Amino acid sequence: MRVHVVEDDAGVSDSLSLILANLGHDVISYPDAESLFRSPPPDGSDTVIVDLTLPGIPGAQVVRWLLKMAAVPRVVVITGQSQSAIDHQLRGLAPAGVVRKPLTVEALARALPAS
Amino acid sequence: MRDFSSSPGLPECATVSEARLLSVLDTAADGIIVIDERARILIFNKACEQMFGIASVEAVGQNVKIVMPIEYAYDHDKYVGSYISTGVKKIIGIGREVRGRHADGTVFPLELSVGEAATPDGRQFIGILRDLRPRKESEQRLADLQSELVHLARVSAIDEMGAAIAHELNQPLTALMLYLQAIRRAHSRGMDINAMVGDILDKAAAEAERAGHIIQRMRQFVEKREPVRSVRDIDPMVDEAVELTLLGQRHRIRVEREFAGDLPPVAVDPVQIQQIVVNLVRNAIEAAAPTGDPAIRVRTRLRDGNVVIEVHDNGPGIAAPALPKLFEAFASSKRRGMGLGLAISRTIAQNHGGDLLVDPGGNGKGACFSLVLPVAPPPVPSEVG
Repeated sequence: MRVHVVEDDAGVSDSLSLILANLGHDVISYPDAESLFRSPPPDGSDTVIVDLTLPGIPGAQVVRWLLKMAAVPRVVVITGQSQSAIDHQLRGLAPAGVVRKPLTVEALARALPAS
Repeated sequence: MRDFSSSPGLPECATVSEARLLSVLDTAADGIIVIDERARILIFNKACEQMFGIASVEAVGQNVKIVMPIEYAYDHDKYVGSYISTGVKKIIGIGREVRGRHADGTVFPLELSVGEAATPDGRQFIGILRDLRPRKESEQRLADLQSELVHLARVSAIDEMGAAIAHELNQPLTALMLYLQAIRRAHSRGMDINAMVGDILDKAAAEAERAGHIIQRMRQFVEKREPVRSVRDIDPMVDEAVELTLLGQRHRIRVEREFAGDLPPVAVDPVQIQQIVVNLVRNAIEAAAPTGDPAIRVRTRLRDGNVVIEVHDNGPGIAAPALPKLFEAFASSKRRGMGLGLAISRTIAQNHGGDLLVDPGGNGKGACFSLVLPVAPPPVPSEVG
């Protein structure tokens, strides 16, 4: 399965790619929302992992955009923010999963579809 | 029972009014010593007995040097002699701070004022003494309290940053965890990972180090310590403080840094100065955050012979009614914190011989705070040879 990772932190992004590849996925990484939007859009069978805190266009905006696509990909939010901050930003949005940092491979695997 | 009737040098306490005078002297809270032209003690009141631990009967008749530290005592006779021969007043009619010596050897600060009286028996000098130790102690307490408060404000600033810091630590911890789990998984599946394991471990170690650095920076900032002045360049100090503030900052904000680069050094306590900068930058970010395109500018420059650090924001400016109370403790309109930030910051600036000034802005202009610090005096040339 193809997994898109939108994460600005280089360390998190790199380690996430490694573990996802390890789990058998094809990984495409983006340092921000803008570069995701410039690339070919994900399709309905893809998963997009979005960090809430992004430079420029915020993560919640990316989630909103993805959930409005004709073929909605699986959207998984990752974040280190407090629950109230998460709730505030995701008002009215229902991503498939929210995984809080620090991430573990188990929590990630649960949020991804069984492959 | 002690009385002065047997005192040598003092005429017999013949009249009732003289007895009354002596009892008044004994009830005085200040120490009172009367000496003659040869510095011999004529009167040594009760407060003096307490102050110096010497009984009046023992003191009277002796040279007043017995209540002075050795180094004063040595010159005192010369002073008295010089005054009597030249008439030049060095202490008479002028209060000054001197040091006294208790019988147990303790030397302590005293405020001494001396008056002079001509009597049929010759000139007499009346000294009124006040022990300055209680005042010194309260000054010390005040200084301690102030340093405690400065520390408290710093802790409170960190407390407010706590959530943001947790977020910042989450990044390296996440990366670290995933790197290790990647190796663990590969290992348990018997995959050949030899080629890449070294590389991954290096990256994992770098992430752990990154987490360590974040904690180190916080610790340096928050730990309680005595204020220490050192001569430093302001630019790197300000840069570090800006970095510290941006650490885990949730608002996305443009930060422009405009450092002069060639400023003369300042003599400051770096941690305290950074505390001010952190405070100003945090306030600026809060003020700018609600605008569509939040931006702040931190600038250093030389103005009228002082080093000035300016923190601008592009927020709405400070409303006129809030201005008079801006630097008062506990007057903050903010929901969080104690409103100590600006009050403490200005105190620190003034303790450094500088000041904290504000241009409130408004009408489409953001606020600008200026931290003014005097340039450090040129270093004393080191000894030749």
